[in-house]
Amino acid sequence: MLTKIVKYFVMFFLGFCFLLPFLIMVLSSLKETTYASLDPLFWLPDNPSLNNFAYLFRNDNFLRWIFNSVIVTIIPVFSQMFFAGILGYIFARKQFVGKEVIFWTFMAVIMIPQQLLIIPKFIMFSKFGWINEYQALIVPELWAIMGVFLVRQFMQGIPMELDEAARMDGANDFQVFRKIYMPLAFPSIATVGTFAFVSNWNDLFQPLIYMTNEKMYPITVGLASTLSKEGNFGIEMAGATLSFIPTFLIFLFFQKYFTEGIQMSGLK
Amino acid sequence: MEKVLVNQNEMTLDNEVKVKRPLKQRIKDEWRKNALVYIILVPVLAHFLVFQVIPFVYSFILTFLNYRIIGVSEFVGLRNWTQLFKDDIAWKSIWNTILFSIYYIVPTMALGLILALIIKSGIHFTKLIKGVFFLPVVTSFVVVAGIWEWLFSGTESGFINYLLSFLGINTQLFLSDSKQALIVLAGLSIFKVSGSTMIYYFAGLQSIPKEMYEAAKIDGASSFKSFWMITFPLLKPIHFYVLIITTIGSFQIFDSAYLLTSGGPNFSTSTIVYYLYSIGFTNLNFSYAAVLSYVLFAIILVISLIQRKYFGNDQSMY
Repeated sequence: MLTKIVKYFVMFFLGFCFLLPFLIMVLSSLKETTYASLDPLFWLPDNPSLNNFAYLFRNDNFLRWIFNSVIVTIIPVFSQMFFAGILGYIFARKQFVGKEVIFWTFMAVIMIPQQLLIIPKFIMFSKFGWINEYQALIVPELWAIMGVFLVRQFMQGIPMELDEAARMDGANDFQVFRKIYMPLAFPSIATVGTFAFVSNWNDLFQPLIYMTNEKMYPITVGLASTLSKEGNFGIEMAGATLSFIPTFLIFLFFQKYFTEGIQMSGLK
Repeated sequence: MEKVLVNQNEMTLDNEVKVKRPLKQRIKDEWRKNALVYIILVPVLAHFLVFQVIPFVYSFILTFLNYRIIGVSEFVGLRNWTQLFKDDIAWKSIWNTILFSIYYIVPTMALGLILALIIKSGIHFTKLIKGVFFLPVVTSFVVVAGIWEWLFSGTESGFINYLLSFLGINTQLFLSDSKQALIVLAGLSIFKVSGSTMIYYFAGLQSIPKEMYEAAKIDGASSFKSFWMITFPLLKPIHFYVLIITTIGSFQIFDSAYLLTSGGPNFSTSTIVYYLYSIGFTNLNFSYAAVLSYVLFAIILVISLIQRKYFGNDQSMY
């Protein structure tokens, strides 16, 4: 009994510690205040107001940043899901010349840190005229090697008999993929989608480099370079809260895919 | 594109030696069988070439150039590489990154394991709390860093200083103190990442057979003892895997150094990637930044190779 109480206590204490920063964020966003006049407990709720949010919505850059984030997130999410699915199928089930070589090349490239590619990509995108264009953040993210591995691994576990049966009924490759593999491997494809969402929505490094015009910032860069410099903690936290809501909702609805995805990716 | 041409050449050879069917027929059959493969793989490989392979090679070439944004770049041999050995800040950044890893890796693993044990302990509400522990993982650095900056402000009104005052500890400078700043950044990363190490450990704990604990119980082992004698050693592959991925992650740390301290005070939080960023995009010295990015690559390559050696190939890649 005592150990059980201790367990509950530890769990709720740690849970509270993990939630507290988020709680402070949301409560601060409801307070009109400036950075300088803060006391440590200013965020405790009394006299809440939505003025910080109203301020943000009057600021046309802010809505533009959200819109930019949506564009550079949604397109890669669906594209990565599609390519992870179909490439997963190709590498799990099709036989063709060069399959092993291509697969191992992909494997090797995963070891290259993305920060290594940023300088040549910046030079390349300058030549393409992609600086301050959505393409710079969308096109390189259209498919991701990691997602292909994840789905391939999942599809290898699907029994062969299923597609043999479908082929007997005259289904072609794409139909086999669409009618059998895609639905059965959907958990892994959804995992790819959720991870793509989080990594693109939260990305700071790449847009910081490719987007130099304030109008083209995604919300991460907008928050980091403009809102946090205004010196008003309430407004900064209102922006943080709004930028956090989409990831929070995705997480709430697809939590299973995040945690299963992490397990699948690491361990068999 | 090239790949496909090569494939077709090989096919023709095959065709002449073994199958005495006309080439046209052979191609047609292959197309019927693998059309989907070619339709998908050709653009994907072209994309791969343009956005992965060419930048990788070009980055290496850059290290031997004096790259000019306007005008002609000249070949300078190893000058950028020798600059690295004379550059104290570069070494300081490498050292800071190692120091960051030391502050960050073991606590992240330990906290992740503790969280996993809590989730696995079979009490109520664990599902909900698991979500809470995981929440920082999906939250952007920008959001977490914004809160962190306020929590750790180095004045009396800072929240953490306020809490410390109850313990009788004086006001700390935190981010403005060159000895503490890196620890505060490590704290942020521990908060942000331990939820994902929890998931790895949780999966590991589930794979330990229940019978082992029952046997230990019969032998009269306390739960503390059975943790150190059974759980901890059996998690060895997970420890190793988590160690590798957190190490790789720690060498790529950038966001918090950029957001909270801009590498300061006195370069005490300048990490490899932050320094690379400031050389490349503040000083616009692309060639030297490319050298730094290869230093990062070399470190990560060594870690990955160690991982491969101990883990084999297929399951451990990411």
